[in-house]
Amino acid sequence: MKSEKQKAIGSDALALEVKGLTKLFGTRKALDNLDLELPQGAFLSIFGPNGAGKTTLLSILSTLARPTRGSISVLGFDINEHPDEVREHIGLISHRSMLYPDLTAEENLLFIARLYGLTNPQARVAELLDAVELSLRRHDTVRTFSRGMTQRLSIARALICDPELIFLDEPYSGLDPHAVDILDGLIARIRDGRSFIMVSHDLQKGFDLSSHVLMLAKGRKLVFSRKEDLDFTDFAEQYRSTVGMGVA
Amino acid sequence: MTQSPVLKKPTTFSQYKALLAKDLRQEFRTRDMLTSMGIYAVLVLIVFGAAFSQMPADFDIIPISGGLIWALIVFTSLLGLNRSFSHEKEEGSLQGILLVPLDRAVIFLSKATSNLIFLLLVEIITIPLFYFFFLSRSDASETLWLVVAPLLVGTIGIVGIGTLLATITMGTRGKDVLLAVLFIPLSYPLLFACVSATTAAIVGDFDFVSTFVPALAMAGGYDVVMILVSWLLYDYVVSA
Repeated sequence: MKSEKQKAIGSDALALEVKGLTKLFGTRKALDNLDLELPQGAFLSIFGPNGAGKTTLLSILSTLARPTRGSISVLGFDINEHPDEVREHIGLISHRSMLYPDLTAEENLLFIARLYGLTNPQARVAELLDAVELSLRRHDTVRTFSRGMTQRLSIARALICDPELIFLDEPYSGLDPHAVDILDGLIARIRDGRSFIMVSHDLQKGFDLSSHVLMLAKGRKLVFSRKEDLDFTDFAEQYRSTVGMGVA
Repeated sequence: MTQSPVLKKPTTFSQYKALLAKDLRQEFRTRDMLTSMGIYAVLVLIVFGAAFSQMPADFDIIPISGGLIWALIVFTSLLGLNRSFSHEKEEGSLQGILLVPLDRAVIFLSKATSNLIFLLLVEIITIPLFYFFFLSRSDASETLWLVVAPLLVGTIGIVGIGTLLATITMGTRGKDVLLAVLFIPLSYPLLFACVSATTAAIVGDFDFVSTFVPALAMAGGYDVVMILVSWLLYDYVVSA
């Protein structure tokens, strides 16, 4: 079932449309003339060796960094002209929790809910704490949480505004098996109609979850394809040779 | 998750309140900034005491007391400003705020307000201590209470420009030194004006008004210009 926000975006808009994206750090090209198109509801997994430009790409798409050149449209909104509209519809789950360790789980979520302007923040926070199985620890400060619990709360934080496009930056990094199950379950529950873009070093996991895959090296696109057009064994071999040959 | 949450475009003021409340709650829970600034200020007073213990008994501290008060405030505020973004950096929380659709200048305003509150709280404790240790045996002028004006105007200016500079330096190596290197030259006109106004209020001679009023006006003008510049530049600085 489509949410109100999904209806507002429009069904014909692509989740992502990137043309000629280039990002320079000094004279070094972190991203080099990238073109991508992703339909709504897709799950894109991005692979590549360290320094390939994966996190830079995610930072730009999530409006945290500015591109040097190129045009980017997220859910039909131009990222340069309408960054706030983009921000209203995206969520980011990172390996950094983006939480305040000295605030409680509930205070962290209420803070961000109020920034988004949720009309009933208490109910939404209670619902999300329940979804990530942290209701019983809602009055405890995040500093007392294990890595897995912190990551679960960070997932709840990213979902607070009910985003249509969710960025995942190595979300499974450092998670215990229980937290992995919760994240898998959450993704499965909210996947309907929503789009995902995930950076991962876990080839098997990323490939299994994805509908599309992108392999980057030195900021360039090596592979961008629908998963059904790829054979995992061949793809894994190409990934290993890319890393092994020191392309990055 | 059963239903989509309803988002109503929040007002800038409600976002400002949420950010400020978060900073205050966090600080009053941990007392990181208040404790470190308070202890540092008391240590500076002890150093001043050691220095003046060597002076002759008839040494008149009053003409230099304005400068001493502002040395105390500047060094204490540098310590606090450096710490004001430590919570935002620890787990990438600032990135989380930047993902929200909000005017970046609101982040500046809320952070500057919380810094102002913390610095004023430290001043409320340390300035009376300064008076008790160094001025209580001197004849207080009738205009002494007017030091409140330059203290308030100067503190606003310090947190205004200091918050902008702390944002610039928070991700750099050697941020403690870099903040001081940028802050002191940029805030020099404000410090000059505030030292003049504070000294004039403490000395309180017949020529008091001709020094106090222009100095206070200069400090106020600096505040307006620098806060406006910081407000305008903040989006660029915080997103860089």
